[in-house]
Amino acid sequence: MADIDDATERSTTNWAKKVDRLTLGSAPAGAVNLNVEGRRLTGPLQGFGTMWQKTYRVRLPRDVVEPRALIATWKERFPEFWPGGNRFYAPLTGIAPGEVALLNLALPGRLTLSTGVMVLYADEESFTLMTPQGHMFAGWITFSAVPAGDDGVMAQVQVLMRASDPIFELGLMLGGHAQEDRFWQETLTRLAAAHGLASASVQTTVICVDRKRQWSKWRNVWHSSAIRSSIYTLGAPVRLIRSRLSRSPGN
Amino acid sequence: MTTETAAGVRRRGRVALIDLVGDVNAAAADNLDHAWAEATADGPDAVVLNFAGTGYINSTGIALIVGLLAKARAGGLPIRAFGLSPHYREIFEITRLADFLAITGDEDSAVGAAPRDADSAMGTTGGTSYG
Repeated sequence: MADIDDATERSTTNWAKKVDRLTLGSAPAGAVNLNVEGRRLTGPLQGFGTMWQKTYRVRLPRDVVEPRALIATWKERFPEFWPGGNRFYAPLTGIAPGEVALLNLALPGRLTLSTGVMVLYADEESFTLMTPQGHMFAGWITFSAVPAGDDGVMAQVQVLMRASDPIFELGLMLGGHAQEDRFWQETLTRLAAAHGLASASVQTTVICVDRKRQWSKWRNVWHSSAIRSSIYTLGAPVRLIRSRLSRSPGN
Repeated sequence: MTTETAAGVRRRGRVALIDLVGDVNAAAADNLDHAWAEATADGPDAVVLNFAGTGYINSTGIALIVGLLAKARAGGLPIRAFGLSPHYREIFEITRLADFLAITGDEDSAVGAAPRDADSAMGTTGGTSYG
């Protein structure tokens, strides 16, 4: 009974509370809250495309860092380990269950995709981010660290995902998957470098969990952050002119 | 405290039940895979997951459950669950597993529930190349 109580207490602390729709206060300077506010969360079951499980791993020496210390550092300095050109606007309270973060991701064609994630789960050995409607994929990203052999620590990123809509599915097939692989490989390389491992080798394993596409989810395209971010970017000159006119004398 | 997962398989008529006991986390992967293989070996009409004996479920454990849902789709195999505490029912709603998994209050309801249409089940295929 005590074990069940302990499990329930740990679980209540480590999992996010239920939310129907995401809410975010004011956006950090430079971040665009275009595709997060009011969106529902989407797990790997709600997406459109083929379901993939992608696992990226790097081994670190345990005399440099223990698994829990590694996760603590990863949470605390999460944005630092992201590849250049991409921004993770961490919640003010850090990586904690239920917190929402905004993302600006670099896409081909100098397009910046504005989206976000919610921290679904966090404990001392792992944490999981979940995507909202309109993100390029519907799914979870779990970051963890476990002992590896007698003297190692395995840092891992595991993505369980489906492309959110047909356009993102096409994009992933036409190079998006490879770009995403590079993204997490570089993230782990940076994490390893921060712990003194200058040339870390990242192991990548990709498993197709469900090859079927969920055609009933094609309407997800309505929420597409790529389309909305593109419209927002194209509207920048108009917003600039409006802003200058409203500041000009006589207004 | 962490407890190792056990996953026993039994049958009630044409329905296979997987009784999960202990924590559901990364360490449960092999036991879950073996239990699934055993449960589905003779082509049951449905698979029922019994969570009444589970302790702690972390996010990796939830991902393993997604994997089972995915495996069920290949043959249009309905999958149901019971024995979830109110807290874990909420977790299944947050993670939106509840959209794809019929959750009932007790074993009889789970075993006796009418098979759902195959469209709401999930499935699996192997492969490592994108496309």
